[in-house]
Amino acid sequence: MDVFGSFALLLALVCAVYAFVGGIAAIYTRHPLLVKSTRQAGIATCALIFTATFSLEYLFFSDNFSAAYVVSHSNRSLPTFYKVAALWSGQEGSLLFWSFLLSVYVISVLLVYRNKNGELMPYVGVVLAGVQIFFLTLNNFVASPFKSLGMQNPAGGFDFFTRIDGNGLNPLLQYPEMVIHPPNLYSGYTGFTIPFAFALAALLARYPGEKWIHLTRKWTMIAWCFQTVGILLGAHWAYAVLGWGGYWAWDPVENASLLPWLTGTAFLHSVMMQEKRGMMKVWNVWLVFTTFLLCILGTFLTRSGVVSSVHAFAQSSIGSWFVGFMIVIVVVCFTAYVKNRDYLKSENQLDSVVSRESSFLFNNLILLVSCIAVLSGTLFPVFSEWISGSRISVGTPFFNKVNIPIGLLLMFLTGIGPLLAWRKTSTDSLKRNFGWPLLVALISGAALFAAGMRQFYSLVCFMLCIFVTATISMEFYRGARVIKSRGNMNLFSAAYELAWRNTRRYGGYIVHMGMVLIFIGLAGAAFNRDVQKDMQPGSTMQIGPYTLLLQSSDSKPEKNYSAERMIVEVIKNNKPMMLLYPERRFFTTNEQSGTMVAIYSTLLEDLYVVYAGQSPETNAPVIHAYLNPLVKWIWLGGVIVVMGTIVALMPNRRNVFVLSAVQQPAGATPAAPALQTSATYREGHD
Amino acid sequence: MIRFRRRSARIAATALVVVAFCVNSAIAQKTPQAKKIGGKFLCMCTCNQVLTQCNHVGCTTSTSMLKKIDQAVAQGDSEEKITQSFVQEFGTTVYAEPPKSGISLVAWAMPTVYLIIGAVLVVFVIARWRKVSVMSARTAGAAHPSHISQELLDRARSRAARDTED
Repeated sequence: MDVFGSFALLLALVCAVYAFVGGIAAIYTRHPLLVKSTRQAGIATCALIFTATFSLEYLFFSDNFSAAYVVSHSNRSLPTFYKVAALWSGQEGSLLFWSFLLSVYVISVLLVYRNKNGELMPYVGVVLAGVQIFFLTLNNFVASPFKSLGMQNPAGGFDFFTRIDGNGLNPLLQYPEMVIHPPNLYSGYTGFTIPFAFALAALLARYPGEKWIHLTRKWTMIAWCFQTVGILLGAHWAYAVLGWGGYWAWDPVENASLLPWLTGTAFLHSVMMQEKRGMMKVWNVWLVFTTFLLCILGTFLTRSGVVSSVHAFAQSSIGSWFVGFMIVIVVVCFTAYVKNRDYLKSENQLDSVVSRESSFLFNNLILLVSCIAVLSGTLFPVFSEWISGSRISVGTPFFNKVNIPIGLLLMFLTGIGPLLAWRKTSTDSLKRNFGWPLLVALISGAALFAAGMRQFYSLVCFMLCIFVTATISMEFYRGARVIKSRGNMNLFSAAYELAWRNTRRYGGYIVHMGMVLIFIGLAGAAFNRDVQKDMQPGSTMQIGPYTLLLQSSDSKPEKNYSAERMIVEVIKNNKPMMLLYPERRFFTTNEQSGTMVAIYSTLLEDLYVVYAGQSPETNAPVIHAYLNPLVKWIWLGGVIVVMGTIVALMPNRRNVFVLSAVQQPAGATPAAPALQTSATYREGHD
Repeated sequence: MIRFRRRSARIAATALVVVAFCVNSAIAQKTPQAKKIGGKFLCMCTCNQVLTQCNHVGCTTSTSMLKKIDQAVAQGDSEEKITQSFVQEFGTTVYAEPPKSGISLVAWAMPTVYLIIGAVLVVFVIARWRKVSVMSARTAGAAHPSHISQELLDRARSRAARDTED
């Protein structure tokens, strides 16, 4: 099966090269057969990559320990669930997984648009094939996952052999979220290839700019949603497994996943300028190029070892390939832009400073500044070493100090941006839209201050979150009130109906609401507390309102590991509440240990208990307890963001309800009321 | 007899507290000052975590680093002196955040500089767009400023609209 998979990868590369070269020829000759055959080659490339990926999975499931990659990342007692995840647990497999997910997108695009966009698709096919060629080159010649175990014999030949069992999977990856976190994150990274391909194709084909935006909007949103979910799942994994009490450590690899998310978010906002007003075409093209470049940069940072990271499982000299690829991308994009930039001329100009257009500009500014600040902070140790000869570390305190004010500015814009009208916002409109939300936010801030909250950033964050919630609620209320008055339904049903009438707009508001919840959760971090203690059975420790009593400990042998478990009773107000079981796992095959945190999570706070092992001095179990307020809001916010994105991806529901409910004025045409209703609440927004 | 027992119990309790204190000192700092200083360094065990957050039980590096801070604080050493001795021993990689001096100032200044430059650019773009908007309203039908003609651009637009479908 390893030979089969290896051959499939090689054949995939041949097909991709044909799709690339043939595609260029098809663009120049416009020969229909050539166009068709290159598209078929693109599909064949994807099918062959699928074959190779399934071959590798088969090697894992069949415990084929003649394959070096399987030996390094699996063993016989590894649960089936994790044998799936073993695919992307190392360098070679994760690069094949990149190719696999990219192929899912590529084949979808090639099939969805097989009879559409005749002139644009050959360009798109060439760009996609170019990206696939790069990854297939790595899969075939630089980091092949199908290498067999072997050693050179004295005669100069090669003896292949098979191991009885493998080394097992990294314990940190043996956690359910690790089965879904990397696929989500990778789907985000690879998904941004589609808008990149369309943007570059549109530029090469001299398309004036707006059509590729329409074509790729859904692809971009899907990629963005995957990236968001991937980042949040990674944060939750770090929280529940690593046992340091936090969810985001500004590790270079975490930062690498955040960078394309920031530019992707900026792009999702600024495309609206292009769609509605035909503006910012150059900016949008470069935002997509940058987002794709940052995806490649993220992959480079994960693998090159250029910056130190806890994700060091995949370091190698492969980095130079990524640098080369990034240089090629920059050269191609820049050349295409210089040659065809005249086709990206804006069709409209700005009418007023106080307008939706301005808010989008500032939104993009803040997101880009955040992106550059994170990027420069991540790479500063490298730069400082180049310049001064000594490496200066940039850790969590720096990133927090820099990004918290930027995040608050962004939250402020989240509140005001959607309520500003396109072209121009009148003073009356400003008062009407922002008066009440501003008042509510100020009163809430005063109440929180009076209640004893003195942390400046947290206080401002809570105020802004209340402000944004109020503005979004007002928007829903106003729209729903109109529908309610015409449809004899309650306000909630009307709000539901409203969201389905303009899914993009109200889906966007739901996403904003999710971000508000995430910010509330992040603001809670200012109030974190922790206590660490060596505990003997029967001893207690106090954290906040909770008393932790170490009852006893036990051990349980599992198939793949043995666990040492502490039984901790949680007491609140002198009443026993529950038992928590923090544990440490020892994986016998690779002789590594891992933590399993016990968390009692409520909307108010998380009681987070870690069994950190035995004290080397007293041999007593060390229990580290944290009290982290509002963490659950972050995960809830993530769910709301996904729901909002799904709503925004849905097509608008037809105004059937309005047509049946509106009283027809005498002599009016049947279509008129729907248009009137729509105009009532669509003014200046979207 | 009872008095002797009480006294013994008191001594035992005190000893227990002292022992517990000594044991805990290996894993946590005694004073807020020591905790504050520990938060400014990274643990040098390659975990990349802030020293006071290193959660590896048995991590001898963080234990010895924290002990050093404890001792230095107890001796009355200033934060600056402790920082200097740590940088001398471990190099500049020990900083959890870049110091606000020398080349590290660049790291701190950069985000603010980006924000200012970006804000100036945005204001400039808005002003330019508004200016062009007013001018184009005044000189409607004037020559197209681009290198390609309006006719060519319109043709390209209609071609794109014709070719592409949602």
